[in-house]
Amino acid sequence: MIFAIESADQDKYPELFDEMFRMRAEVFSGRLGWDVKVENGREIDRFDAEDPLYLLSLDERSGQLRGAVRLLPTTGPNMLRDVFSVLMPGGTVGSPLIWESSRFAVNPQIFEARDRAEANHMVSKTTVELLYGMVEVAQRAGIEHIVSVFDARMARIFRSIDCRFEQLGTPVRIGKVMTYAGLFDIGADMRSRLGAAGDLRSSVLADGAIAPASVTALVANVE
Amino acid sequence: MGALSKISDIVDQNSTIRFLKDVASRYALNTIAYFAVGVVGQNETDPYLAVTYPPEWVEHYKKRQYVDVDPVVRLGFRRMLPLDWDEFGKPTGRLKTFFGEAGEFGIGRRGLTVPVHGRCGDRALFSVTSDLSARDWASAKLLYMRDFQVLAMHIHDRVLCIEGQASEPASLSPRELECLQWIAEGKTAWECAVILCLSQHTVRCYLESARHKLHATSNTHAVSIAHRAGLLFGPL
Repeated sequence: MIFAIESADQDKYPELFDEMFRMRAEVFSGRLGWDVKVENGREIDRFDAEDPLYLLSLDERSGQLRGAVRLLPTTGPNMLRDVFSVLMPGGTVGSPLIWESSRFAVNPQIFEARDRAEANHMVSKTTVELLYGMVEVAQRAGIEHIVSVFDARMARIFRSIDCRFEQLGTPVRIGKVMTYAGLFDIGADMRSRLGAAGDLRSSVLADGAIAPASVTALVANVE
Repeated sequence: MGALSKISDIVDQNSTIRFLKDVASRYALNTIAYFAVGVVGQNETDPYLAVTYPPEWVEHYKKRQYVDVDPVVRLGFRRMLPLDWDEFGKPTGRLKTFFGEAGEFGIGRRGLTVPVHGRCGDRALFSVTSDLSARDWASAKLLYMRDFQVLAMHIHDRVLCIEGQASEPASLSPRELECLQWIAEGKTAWECAVILCLSQHTVRCYLESARHKLHATSNTHAVSIAHRAGLLFGPL
């Protein structure tokens, strides 16, 4: 189940956000070795201060954080424009109808305790659910396009679940990582392809956009 | 979005209000309010305001210190998603009085606020209100969100410009220029996609971005602005 939570509301779910920032440190610094700043075991960057929207995938029963992604409008500060402009040397895209997604992460804890087949299934399920949630939230807000910066590993994952994107500019090796800028078509086509990949038929969003009561209940379950 | 073609009429606060009134009547809305912070020469306590509200309501609002109560102001500036006032739920206490009095001054029962995230961290809110039925509101909302997110950004850029914040000269990326060049030659988005070996969706994204950067209302408008700025080659 996907919870869309505005940055301004993160104080209502401190444990959940803390868990997300710790998960991001583990994924981006630990597993992927990206050059990100980690403080006190948490990965938080300057774009988290720009009031993004977070999508959190939580297990329906246990309330465990399965994954997360961050969305920013491309009219304000964003990663493609301000950090990865080298990917589009002629200038990046920007419009109120184009969002940027970043810090897409699946919680490593969900595959540690399981056998391999089950772990792969969970990773793919969470990935598809997050993408599907992104499409749903964007469609509800009248958004037409999502751009994102990602690595070769993520590009393979997108291809494996038929999540089509068009490459913007030219991929560039940054540090150890081959880095891509991609544009996602978030129309009805994408929704039905993701739906097929994840066997999803109805909305993955928890009761509209935000459901504080259910999140609180889920968080309480974790403790 | 015919209203946008008059965006250049905005040269000061009064013309901003006239522009908003024109938009309100085109969309049959009760009121529109544009509210910015972080504009040069302004600060948090003295934001830039252009509203179609009756002056009496603005007076009353100030006198009662409703800025401390108004959930739109309290929540809106840090939002990313458009805010449907139905999300506030049934108002109680001082909030109930606030919305009750707002209604008496002609502010609609339903409202939508679009947050604007400007390029330098500047923010604005663009709020519309209406007395549509729940059903009509639900069906109008998607159109409002699309049109007003674009419109709000254009108004915001105009206001920054008249408040003396130099906007960056329009510069388009090579891909945006290519798409616009072919549109100028009379090609459709589909034809552009075939010519440039891109998907139609990607061409639409480049054109959307080009319109945004050029403050253009349509592809045709974008072509004419780009042409005047000497960004395109060949005869129009």
